[in-house]
Amino acid sequence: MKKGKIVMTITIGIVCFLLTMIIFMQFKVVRETEETNIDTMQEAELRQELANWKSKYDETKERYDEISATLESYKEETSSDSQTKETLEAELENLELQLGKTDVEGEGVVITLSEKSEQELEEEEQIISIKAEDLVYIVNYLKDSGAEAISINDERIVNTTDIADVGDAIKINSKYLRTDTYTIKAIGNSSYLESSIFGKGGYAEQLSTTGIKTEIEKLDKVEISKYDGEFEIKYIEEAE
Amino acid sequence: MNKKLELVILGIMGFILVIAVSIQIKTVNYNGTTVNSNQAESDLKSQVLRMKEKYENQYAELEKIEKELEKAREQATSNNTELTELENKIKQDNILLGNTDVKGSGITVTLTDGKGDDSVLDVENLLVHAENVLAIVNEMKNAGAEAISINGQRLVNTTAISCDGNVIVVNGEKISSPIEIKAIGLPELLSTLDRPGGTLEYFLSLGKAVDVKKYSNIDIPKYTGVTSFKYAKTVE
Repeated sequence: MKKGKIVMTITIGIVCFLLTMIIFMQFKVVRETEETNIDTMQEAELRQELANWKSKYDETKERYDEISATLESYKEETSSDSQTKETLEAELENLELQLGKTDVEGEGVVITLSEKSEQELEEEEQIISIKAEDLVYIVNYLKDSGAEAISINDERIVNTTDIADVGDAIKINSKYLRTDTYTIKAIGNSSYLESSIFGKGGYAEQLSTTGIKTEIEKLDKVEISKYDGEFEIKYIEEAE
Repeated sequence: MNKKLELVILGIMGFILVIAVSIQIKTVNYNGTTVNSNQAESDLKSQVLRMKEKYENQYAELEKIEKELEKAREQATSNNTELTELENKIKQDNILLGNTDVKGSGITVTLTDGKGDDSVLDVENLLVHAENVLAIVNEMKNAGAEAISINGQRLVNTTAISCDGNVIVVNGEKISSPIEIKAIGLPELLSTLDRPGGTLEYFLSLGKAVDVKKYSNIDIPKYTGVTSFKYAKTVE
């Protein structure tokens, strides 16, 4: 009887010890598992990151090669002034293209915003006129999807362009637009440009609830005219 | 009687033990699959770091050759006024495009996520969103800003300000609160941004923190990316 009791106590003791150990291990493993769950989320992010750096590298390399070629042609001992002029003009043309100083064409989209007619309005929909803010958002979405040139009602969007409500008009650059129909042209990959505004839950859907109809045309050739204002530098100067 | 009680306790313990062991085994199995992806991930991490370094080296090379190009261009055009004129235009365009570090008089607007208290109904109002930054930038351009940067990212013609989850993305770089927007232009005009009834006052009323400072000289860095157009071509 006494002997049996001792054996029993020892057995219970060992079992308790094992139990405690296993539960501790258990806790540790569970904690690690949670961590690796977060890590698998990061994996997609890492792949994205890798692709980003890769494309940045490719762009930089390409630009480096371009500059090397230009540099060579300036350095050439035998080159005449007319050759130098050619190189200068080629450089200048590329810069003016980026600035918006030239008429451009290329693959892109033409987006039209207009107010819905009485019949087109769904129940509970009410027309809220297009505001400067809407155009600011649309321009930003287009830039986000790689637009290289944008115009609104033939007013070219350049780096210093602002879009503001002034009374009933919308002011772009120094032009006042008094209309309820806007034609936005953008040059870039037309599928990307389309999905930036017309994707699910995109801005086109949002505008629709305020009675604005959005239409898009994807074209192989969109023409956008140059900025017809002056590019001025008054306050900035090059830092050393 | 005593022995019976002991047996019952032992039985319960055995039962718990079995359950713990089987849960354990299940979790370990599950964990086993993620161990592999851990391995793949650290591979991926080092790949990312290597690619980033490769880019940084290439970018440093690019900056070097750009300086060389500028010198060579100057030399090649020094003896001819017509060519010097073209060279000056190139310089001017590079400044306009944001390809150079610039300085001048201007302001900074700093937007910070508000702290709020228990009375805040909508926490979203306290946070600084991409649209808020976009609105301020648009107003700065309206006030005649000639150069703008957001947390050190220069705004160029192709720059978008977007959001990715909880962070704001400018030029592909992630930034977060506090957001410091610098602008060069006439400070008096730029500082109309904090006029009564303006956007900044509205942000304050939502509980965001807003700070505006005027400077007689601020520095704005150049754009650190590469712009190359693939779709738009100049019409001859």
